[in-house]
Amino acid sequence: MLDSQTVKQWRRFRSIKRGYWSAIVLLVLLGLSLVAELLVNNRALIVSYEGNWHFPTYGGVIPGSTFGLDYDYETNYRELQQKFKEEDNGNWVLMPLVPYNAFENDLQTDSFPPYPPSIASKHYLGTDSIGRDIVARLLYGFRIAMGFALVLLVCSYAAGILVGCAMGYWGGVFDLLFQRLIEIWNTIPFLYVIMIVASVVVPSFWTLVTVMVIFGWTTMTWNMRTSTYKEKAREYVNAARALGAGNSRVIGVHILPNTISVIVTFIPFSVASGVASLTALDYLGFGLPPPTPSWGELLSQGTDYLDSVWIVSSVGAAIVAVLLMVTYIGEAIREAFDPKKFTYYE
Amino acid sequence: MDQFIQRIGAIAFLVVVFIMSGCSSPDGSIDQQDALSGDNTGSSQGDTDGSNEEDSEETVYVELPPIEVREGDGLPLELPSDLVWQTNNEDPEFGSPNAIRGGMFRTWMLSFPLTLRIVGPDSNGTFAYFTRANQFGPVSHHPQTGRPIPLLATHWAFGEDGRSIFYRINPKARWSDGVPVTADDVVFNVQFLRSKYIVSTWSNDYYTDRIRDVKKYDSHTYGIQGADPKPPEEMHYYYGIGPRPKHFHRMSDNWVAEYNWKPDPTTGPYHIGKIEKGKYIELVRTENWWGEDLRYMRNRFNPQTIRIKVIRDINTAWQHFLKGEIDTFNITIPEYWHDKANHQTFKDGYIAKYWFYNQLPQASTGVFLNSADPLLSDKNIRLGIAHSMNFQRVIDTILRGDYERLETFNVGFGDYDVRSIQPREFDIKKANEYFEAAGFVDRDSSGIRTRTNEDGNTTRLSFRVTYGRAIHTPRLVVIQEEAKKTGLELRLQLLDPTASFKQMLEKKHQLAWMGWGTSGVAPRYWEHFHSINANITQTNNITNHANPAMDELIMQFRASGDRQERVALAHQLEKIVYDAAVVVPRTKVPFTREAAWRWIELPKGLGTRHSTALFNSQAPSQMFSGGGLFWINEKKKEEILEAKRKGENLDELVVIDETYRN
Repeated sequence: MLDSQTVKQWRRFRSIKRGYWSAIVLLVLLGLSLVAELLVNNRALIVSYEGNWHFPTYGGVIPGSTFGLDYDYETNYRELQQKFKEEDNGNWVLMPLVPYNAFENDLQTDSFPPYPPSIASKHYLGTDSIGRDIVARLLYGFRIAMGFALVLLVCSYAAGILVGCAMGYWGGVFDLLFQRLIEIWNTIPFLYVIMIVASVVVPSFWTLVTVMVIFGWTTMTWNMRTSTYKEKAREYVNAARALGAGNSRVIGVHILPNTISVIVTFIPFSVASGVASLTALDYLGFGLPPPTPSWGELLSQGTDYLDSVWIVSSVGAAIVAVLLMVTYIGEAIREAFDPKKFTYYE
Repeated sequence: MDQFIQRIGAIAFLVVVFIMSGCSSPDGSIDQQDALSGDNTGSSQGDTDGSNEEDSEETVYVELPPIEVREGDGLPLELPSDLVWQTNNEDPEFGSPNAIRGGMFRTWMLSFPLTLRIVGPDSNGTFAYFTRANQFGPVSHHPQTGRPIPLLATHWAFGEDGRSIFYRINPKARWSDGVPVTADDVVFNVQFLRSKYIVSTWSNDYYTDRIRDVKKYDSHTYGIQGADPKPPEEMHYYYGIGPRPKHFHRMSDNWVAEYNWKPDPTTGPYHIGKIEKGKYIELVRTENWWGEDLRYMRNRFNPQTIRIKVIRDINTAWQHFLKGEIDTFNITIPEYWHDKANHQTFKDGYIAKYWFYNQLPQASTGVFLNSADPLLSDKNIRLGIAHSMNFQRVIDTILRGDYERLETFNVGFGDYDVRSIQPREFDIKKANEYFEAAGFVDRDSSGIRTRTNEDGNTTRLSFRVTYGRAIHTPRLVVIQEEAKKTGLELRLQLLDPTASFKQMLEKKHQLAWMGWGTSGVAPRYWEHFHSINANITQTNNITNHANPAMDELIMQFRASGDRQERVALAHQLEKIVYDAAVVVPRTKVPFTREAAWRWIELPKGLGTRHSTALFNSQAPSQMFSGGGLFWINEKKKEEILEAKRKGENLDELVVIDETYRN
């Protein structure tokens, strides 16, 4: 059963239409990106060959020889579809909406990439400079960017909340020490660290997350420290203590739930900054290694090929849309959790 | 005995210098002595109050020690009387009689140089091209015939031992400050390059190890002896050392700092004029340049001034060019030639496009397979990889069919080239056969080949490709996708250029996607394939190739002074490299493509056989003297700018010259 406060907050959130609809659209997009293989892929959804049905989407590579082709590498399902159509003997192929994946180069012999958007070739947003489909790059890039932002969020919040709470709760020398430590830590220019790391090893998803967590966890500590200080002085904490609750119980059961509004209001903005920083790093070339689908890489291609305006405009629009939606959600959550409306001081 | 006396003399001289400096500045001498002797015990005494600071920083200038000659080396004390002096005044001139003198040629560079010195720390930047180009050697090579042509020297002769060469300096030759060029300057140059004060261990080693002696015979005649015999055709390139202004350099521990922004006087047509630090550098034509009337220098180096402006981004530079603030632009890259250079300014005919084929040594670009890797030590795998790389598709698509496939490791050295070898083509069937022969018969769920040994351990056919230039990512992505068809996985590892090269030199790579710049007259094998350089770090044998039979041939090739023999050996060596399949040659660019505003004019044939660039303002292009052929037509400039203002169009001009296409 939800407590009345949460219900009120939820109602308030729903009443802010802009944020509410943004949340729905973003969640739908996130959901779609999780099953991107079914929507945007060079593997067929279903192949019916000589009475047998194959579902190539998930699972291993099916070599061309399985379908009577003369090669052993992965089947080119687009060609297969064409072939079956021409042969017309009951075999058929069902392709996804966009029949390309994010890595393959669909190069034509008579012209050179980037190819402009075309419904005939099913490149609905065109291709990038090496003939990769932009819809595919955007969708898979979105999945990676959101995944990155969420993992980053969980890790850096876990560290930030833990340390922040401890600082606020114990105070004194411990607090003083950590404050100074964090201040010193914050002066390390994190972009340079990433650049150095990227020049020595190829940054993988997890190395990037690690580096960003190491330098990003501190932001949350300040907020948590203040809220914990505030909550600690409240009477219910004293009451809990008087009843014999230990430190971990006081923090975990009493203080944390009361600071949740602080945490929740920050989440959307952290997601936005996570997406933006990965994009920026990729744009500068210090992000995930090629050929990982990435918005930043697409953006940098777009600026190199300004004449092929479909590249920069589609990725630009996508970035603006996602960041805008996340910000609207953040706004709505902040409104919904605004303590001036729902906290009653005695 | 002679050497011993020389050495004693040098030491005595140094002692005298010490004593003298001690007398003139008693406070400062301690510091200097410490610096020279490497003894730090007295350093605290030098660290006194500010009043002594100036004294203690006073520099001690030293005379460089005389040339040391090793046992078994050395030029004759007297000039041999039986020398056959040669010169070349028969080859055609290549400057245009229509050339117009004067004007300012405006070009650009990515960053401001860290120094104007020609040697020493940080002196190897892009700007060094301009400073070095104006330090003439004794001879250069004719860009059409390839034969030697007089530059600073009027005549040359070859010594009996096959490794010495003698030159006679043109008595007219002057430094840009008016001082005559003499044989002393050449001797000084070798002393200089061997000295520790220039802080260049490479130079120190090279001019001690490869150059064994230099001797002045009279004020304008000198001889040089190298380490190994060389064919006469190649001797100038290896041992043709030129002068350095002795009157200009005062050597000291402080030389690197003192001469950082002091450009050397030059013997070439230009010297550094105005410098606006961080913004631009101007080269000015030397007044009454001594070389004006030399046969092969006539009608060349026409602009009065060359301004090299710092523009930190190529896209910005391109915008400057389109506005007419830069005169020419290299558009060899397909995106530029095909896309960017279709701008309206080109269509209106204000800017011309030139596509000029040349014949030059090609960079040895390729995928280098580290044969020390457990999998890559198997030749079948190496052959399979070679047949899995679809360079033709890269050329046909990303590179728009402009570039060509490089056939062998070394290409572009005339008769050294082996034309019978064809590169291994992308061939799924052959690749499959080789991989299967290596035991990679199964494929995993992602379609990559695997091998399972008796213990049940499975190995995937997957390799890391290390590379250092982001601009190559599109090419690699195509290669990577195509390689999947043969069951080969390539994992791209893009590092920054320095880190990637470091990894290769440390032999930590599996496949290295890189290229060796080539220049000179003959292919080089020792550094890339001799076993002495294999399996140790910091050498250029990045394939770790080791083959005793090849070592022997390489040493013969190095020691041979007979060109025909060298050519035959090179052919054998190239075949061994091909058979070993440790390098998959990539692409070559047998041309230059350039764009220029129409007021920049070229001679009739545009360039020469060996022109690296058409709008090269300086003398050398590789080892040939082919630059400085264009000129600025100021009258036409006014007309074109006027036409542009009025919106009148000219005919579009696209020139494709295939005279020197192979």
